[in-house]
Amino acid sequence: MPFQEINSKMIEATVQPGTKIFSQRGAMLAYKGDVSFTPNIQGGQGGLMSMIGRRVAGEATPLMTVEGSGTVLFGHGGHHIQVIGLSGDTLYVEADRLLAFDGTLQQGTMFMGSQGGVMGMVRGQVSGQGLFTTTLKGHGAVAVMAHGGVIEVPISPQRPVHVDPQAYVAHHGDVRNKLSTALGWRDMVGRGSGEAFQLELSGSGTVYVQASEEKL
Amino acid sequence: MATFRLQGSRVLAVDMTGDAVKAKNGSMVAYDGQMAFKKMTGGGEGIRGMVTRRVTGEQMTVMEVKGHGTCWFADRATEINLVQLHGDKLYVEASNLLCTDAGLRTGTSFTGLRGATQGNGLFTTTVEGSGQAAIISDGPAVVLRVSQQYPLTVDPGAYIAHQGNLHQSFQSGVTFRTFMGEGGGEAFQIRFEGDGLVYVQPSERATIAGDV
Repeated sequence: MPFQEINSKMIEATVQPGTKIFSQRGAMLAYKGDVSFTPNIQGGQGGLMSMIGRRVAGEATPLMTVEGSGTVLFGHGGHHIQVIGLSGDTLYVEADRLLAFDGTLQQGTMFMGSQGGVMGMVRGQVSGQGLFTTTLKGHGAVAVMAHGGVIEVPISPQRPVHVDPQAYVAHHGDVRNKLSTALGWRDMVGRGSGEAFQLELSGSGTVYVQASEEKL
Repeated sequence: MATFRLQGSRVLAVDMTGDAVKAKNGSMVAYDGQMAFKKMTGGGEGIRGMVTRRVTGEQMTVMEVKGHGTCWFADRATEINLVQLHGDKLYVEASNLLCTDAGLRTGTSFTGLRGATQGNGLFTTTVEGSGQAAIISDGPAVVLRVSQQYPLTVDPGAYIAHQGNLHQSFQSGVTFRTFMGEGGGEAFQIRFEGDGLVYVQPSERATIAGDV
């Protein structure tokens, strides 16, 4: 794992010759050794076509490539950082929450609407996170940002998990998501409990939830 | 009875088996199992309580969460403190109350001048009975014990809650210098005497007291 937690808001990445790390542009705090930072106009990897794909999807957060040999400290905006390890599975995360990730991971975008039909589209609208999400697949580590700490909630076939769309950070595993509504007439007259929309995740995997309902 | 446990310092997990808790509106971040969320009008104290809350300005929007499974609560990444009540009374600002056992009774109580210097109004919320409550603070709170020999003086902006048999009085160090703009910045304090616990946060919310 190239990422080591220094404290809850800072991580240290080890860069070796021949390996690459992608990070959000401007997230470097300090570095040791011979390390170079190149702005990545393609916003990640995958060549021109996937760059266009990301532009169209609105998931094009400016990234930079970190190469060389040494150690780099990353942090951004005082947000809490969670390091997530992937072993062959796919992580679903919003592009603006990505702080840094292993260069070996395959980056892609996914249309969330296709997972939940029309409700998937509504999900994007309600959570204010758009209809597309970034996917990272392979073996390696990803550092994501959250407001407040993050808790990991396991999802198993017997126990689906419901998450507040504003507190949702990322998820991985073989998981289906759909937006469930508990809208009653009380919500219409403004007397609801404030929990009208929930993201229902079922299957098996893990969902990461932040200790806040504020976006980054 | 619902079990309260902290997951990290900013997320409260409540395990429920058909029982219920009262929580701040919209503070659920995730749940598994079956849960139902229902808004309780005026803090769930009936018409009388609702009128009292309106009049005193201690407004509280509370929901009842009932079901089987685990429900996680959090509020704007603030720190959470668990308080155990054994038939005694907890005094806390409505905005600092995250979640209580459904068996606990909530009400309002007059605080006098302390509330005014805190900018929170003259009334505070009380929680009474036996069970658990979760209160939120800006930064990790400390619990300070007050005994007969050792009274405690607190900055109104850092005070969040207290419990036990405590008498509180208001102290003001306002002098001629304060009016000249030469005050020490600690013109108002609250003094607690008796036996009990006071919860203090490492942050001072904006108060009238902070300006003099």
